[in-house]
Order: sequence, then structure tokens, then C-alpha cells
Amino acid sequence: MIEAENISKTYWRGATGAVAALKMISFQIGPGEFVAVRGASGSGKSTLLNILGCLEQPSSGRYRLDGEDVARFPDKQLARIRNAKIGFIFQSFNLLPRTTALENVEIPMVYRDGVVDRRRAFCSLQRVGLAARAQHFATELSGGEQQRVAIARALINNPALILADEPTGNLDLNAGREVMQLLCDLHNEGRTILLVTHDDAVAAYASREILLRGGEMISDRQRASELRSGSTEGVL
Amino acid sequence: MKSVKLASQALRNMRRYPLRTIFMMLGVVVGIASLAVLSSVGEATKRETLQRFKNMLGTFDTIMVRPGGGRSRGMPTLVNVPPTLRFEDADAIAKELLEIKAVAEMQTAFDVDIKYRDRAASPVVIGVTPNWLELRSEEVQDGAFFTDDQNASLARVAVIGSDVRAALFPEEDPIGKTLRIADVPFQVIGILKSRGAGPAGGSLDNLVLIPVNSAARRLFNRNFLTMVIAQVKDPEQGSAATEKVAALLRERHHIRPPALDDFTITNPAATMTQVSRAGSTLTKILTGVAAMALVIGGVVIMSLMSIAVSERWKEIGVRRSVGATRRDIVLQFLIEAALVALAGGIAGAAIGESGTLLVARMQGLPQILVWRPFAGAVLLSVMIGLVFGVYPAWKASRLDPIQALRS
Repeated sequence: MIEAENISKTYWRGATGAVAALKMISFQIGPGEFVAVRGASGSGKSTLLNILGCLEQPSSGRYRLDGEDVARFPDKQLARIRNAKIGFIFQSFNLLPRTTALENVEIPMVYRDGVVDRRRAFCSLQRVGLAARAQHFATELSGGEQQRVAIARALINNPALILADEPTGNLDLNAGREVMQLLCDLHNEGRTILLVTHDDAVAAYASREILLRGGEMISDRQRASELRSGSTEGVL
Repeated sequence: MKSVKLASQALRNMRRYPLRTIFMMLGVVVGIASLAVLSSVGEATKRETLQRFKNMLGTFDTIMVRPGGGRSRGMPTLVNVPPTLRFEDADAIAKELLEIKAVAEMQTAFDVDIKYRDRAASPVVIGVTPNWLELRSEEVQDGAFFTDDQNASLARVAVIGSDVRAALFPEEDPIGKTLRIADVPFQVIGILKSRGAGPAGGSLDNLVLIPVNSAARRLFNRNFLTMVIAQVKDPEQGSAATEKVAALLRERHHIRPPALDDFTITNPAATMTQVSRAGSTLTKILTGVAAMALVIGGVVIMSLMSIAVSERWKEIGVRRSVGATRRDIVLQFLIEAALVALAGGIAGAAIGESGTLLVARMQGLPQILVWRPFAGAVLLSVMIGLVFGVYPAWKASRLDPIQALRS
């Protein structure tokens, strides 16, 4: 599903010159995989996620998504891919303020074809267990609830790829566990999940772990899978 | 479809951020309201001024000749004009010039005491030829105007204006009564129809008309005229006729350039054109002022929206991450700007039109609602919103989604 080939990203920052955020990263991720990208802050993991999410272009290298070389796509096509194929989940939830949970979930539908199916948005909320909160404003919800609304929003256009950037970073243990459980469910449905985290306990949910340090990939390995299959008790 | 959804989201946002919306609307509201008030008031003032000049000038197929050269002010009377314009001049104009259909002679005097029993007044006393009535488009309301025969026989008859009637005959019918003009008895035979206000706002009905020959021989003992009104055959040729009259008078008065004319000719049609032009200029200036206010309203939208864009970085980032193109972001902010301006325009137009009614009532102007500006104002405000929304919308769309999300 994802083919990254020698991806590099260099930022030009005024007088200090070039900063290499990513150096020659190559890997492939098949459909239905659950991959954690782990590394300390500044290791380039967020940059990698942004590139894989078509929010940013690599400075060099090739990125194929479903066989399409998206690295040189124009803005309009990248937006279409983000809309249809990718669901984002952010550390800070990124819900719109003064907007209800339901309206937040509806937003990706506007940019798909302009047709907003309110019932489908409601089902998506139901799916994350927040049907009762549909008419609440984002700011009236707890952190865990906000993140679940964000997940409902990510799912609304039924994307094959879920990209999560520190999804539990702002949550307490219980809320974090619920969110990870939801991600596991999505994985069990056959979606491809790519998770960025610095937390080994969160990375433990994944079946494969890519380790970054200073913009370089230092390991890519399969992980033991006891967490994925079901029980999440005692973890985190 | 997408635009419709974005519009409904924009409306929702306007409702949920009422303060921001109101501040953004405010400039347009003020601009449109002042545009509506000022253009309506300007238009009403112009029409009122024109009407007053029409009241004063009477008809437009006439030219007026008064004695004395240069710039003379106010109504020419026996005491403030030189004795250069003669009855013979009027006869010559009537007989020798083919362009002229008819000529009325006038002798005007102020400060003449008029008495009826124990009541007194001092209106303008004007000696006129009977055709004055037709040349001035005046009408007799009661009784009759004097005839050529009465003029020739120096009859002591008078036609009075409605103000004189009110002053001297508050409770009786003036027709047939005898009043004394400077102690000379005259019989009232008619009452003029009221003409309303003149350009300065004063009444045009405070006058007494008597035959010009009676005035010259029985009352004032003067053999010159204060004004000659000449009716031209073809109103289109007013300027040419004016030249002909001037040439004839110069010849009769032995005036050779560079000597200056001892008479002044005015052409009411030309005067009206000037007045009308002045009125239009006033309307234009007022409209210009209001348009300026509107532009300021647009700038308010632009600056507040630019600030809103920086506050909404995160929203822009989220929208981009779920599939909004740069174009979608531009569209969203343009729609918001247009809707805010539209709401401002409608509110402003409503306020402006009620303001117009208020001003019209206070100033005693005819209550003219100028609907073209109303409809135009609403359209204009949408355009203002679009034009001044372009910059913030463009700014929003250029935002890097990564940075927007990180903010």
C-alpha cells in the first residue's frame, strides 16, 4: 500500500542553513498492517507522517500510495487523496470550536462531493460510542471524547489508511486505552494503521515498529502480538 | 453543492461568533446606510430646488430682459434699476423680431402701502400687461384678470396674490372691493392661484398686479420698465432669440462694443440647466462621501477577516487535512465575507431608508425613497465583501497546512 523509497526532507531555515529532518528513508507497508513509528522528539517521525499523509512533499525520493506516485501531485489531487484515502488523528484532536460533534464529523463530506449525509455522520459517532454527544460542542467534551469524535471524523469517508500522530499524547490512561482499542478495532477491520509515538507502551499495540533517530531509520522489526488480538488490560 | 454547504457553515459561524460578525458588518452597515440616506436626500433636495426655481421662473419658453448691465441681484424694481428699458423697446422687440411670439411689460415696486379699511400690507406691486398671466403660466383662482382694454384705458383694477388676500380680506370675499394702493383706489377683480415657495424659501404669493399703463401713469409716474418678458416661438431656439433681442436693444440704445450693455438678458431654460447641474453635483458629492464610507466598511471587513484568519489557522489546517484544496479555502472565506457584507448591506439599507424618511420629515422635503440605491446598495455590499475578502481568503489558502495544524 505504501512504498517509500529514499525519502529525504530538508528544511531551509534562514541563516542556520539546511536542516535534514529525514534522511533516505525506505520501507514498504502492505495493506492491513499496523505499524508504529517510534522515536524521540525531533527524530523526524512527525515529518514522515506528514509526508505519508500528503500534507507535505519530500525533498527527494519517491512515495507511492496505492501505486500512485503522489510525491509530485498538484494540490488538488493531494487534497482528494487526503479526503478519500487517509484519515488523520492528531495529538491535540483538532476539532473546530463552537461546532458540534456531529458537524465536526461532517466536514470531510463537504470536501468530498458537497453532499452531507447527516445519518452517516451520526452512525460514525455511534461507532465510537458518542451518539448521545452528537449535539454537544467540541469544547464541552472530555479529551477522550474529543479524540473519539476526531476518529469518527477520520472514518467518515471510509479511508483505507489511518495516520495517527501521538493519539494518546494528551489523554489520561483510561481514555488512551479506549482510543487504542478503537484503533485496534479499525485494524481488525482490515484498515492500514500507521501510528507515530515516542511511547513504547503505545507502540506495543502495533505488529511492526519502525525506529527513527535523528532523521534516520535505525530499525524495522516485527513485534510480539499479544496486545493486538484482544485484551489491553495492564498495558499503558 | 459544495458552495451551498460552505455557505450554510458560514452562516452557522456568523451565528456562533456574533461579536466578530457584528464588528465585521458594522462598517458596511454604516456605509450603506449613509449611502442610502445621502443619495436619497441629495435627490430629494435636487428635486425640491428645481421645483422652487420652476415656481419662480414660471415658463421655459421665455427670456427675461432687465435694465442695467452686469450682475444685478434680486428682483429689479423702479428704485434699483436705471431708466433705460423703455416701453418702446418692448414694442420694438414684439414687432421687429420674428423669433418672438409675445412680450409682457413689467413695472415692479416694493414698499408701497396698501390699505383696505383698517388693514394694511406692503406686498410687491407689479404693473403688467394682461399677457403676463399666460407668459408666466399663472392662473386666476377667483374672478378674472384685467384685459388689454382695461390696460389701454388706465383702469384702476387689481388682481391680488393669496397672501394679500389673507392679510387684507381674512373674512370677506375681496372681489369687487376697493383697496388703496398708495392712496389711489383700485378695485379687486381677481385672485391669483398660489405658487408656493421660491428658491430662497420665501413666498411668491405676496403681490398685487395692476395694468402696467395704470401703474406708469396713475401710480408711479415712471416711463421705463423694470422687466420685459419675451416669449420665443421655438423654445429650442432660446439662445438664438436671446442674441437677436440683445442685438436689437444695442442698436436702439446706441451701444457699440466695447461699450457695455445697459440691459441683462436671462434665459430660464439655461438657468434651470445650471440649477439642475448644481443639484446633480450635490447628489454626486454626497454619494461620493457615502461610497467612501462603504470602502472603509470594506477595509474593516478585510482587516477583521485577516485577523480572523490568523485566529483560525488551526481550522484551516484541519480542513486542509481532511481534503480541502486551496481553492476550497479561498471559496470558504470569500463566501463568509460576501455573506457578512450582504447581511451588513441589508441592515444598512433598512436603516438608511428609515433614516431617509426621518430626514425627509424633519427637513420638509418630499419623501422620496430612492429604491435604486436600495437594491444597488445590497448588491454593492456583496461586491465590497468579495473584493475585500480576496486578500484574507488568499492569505488563508497560502497557509502551510502543517504549520497551521502545529499552531
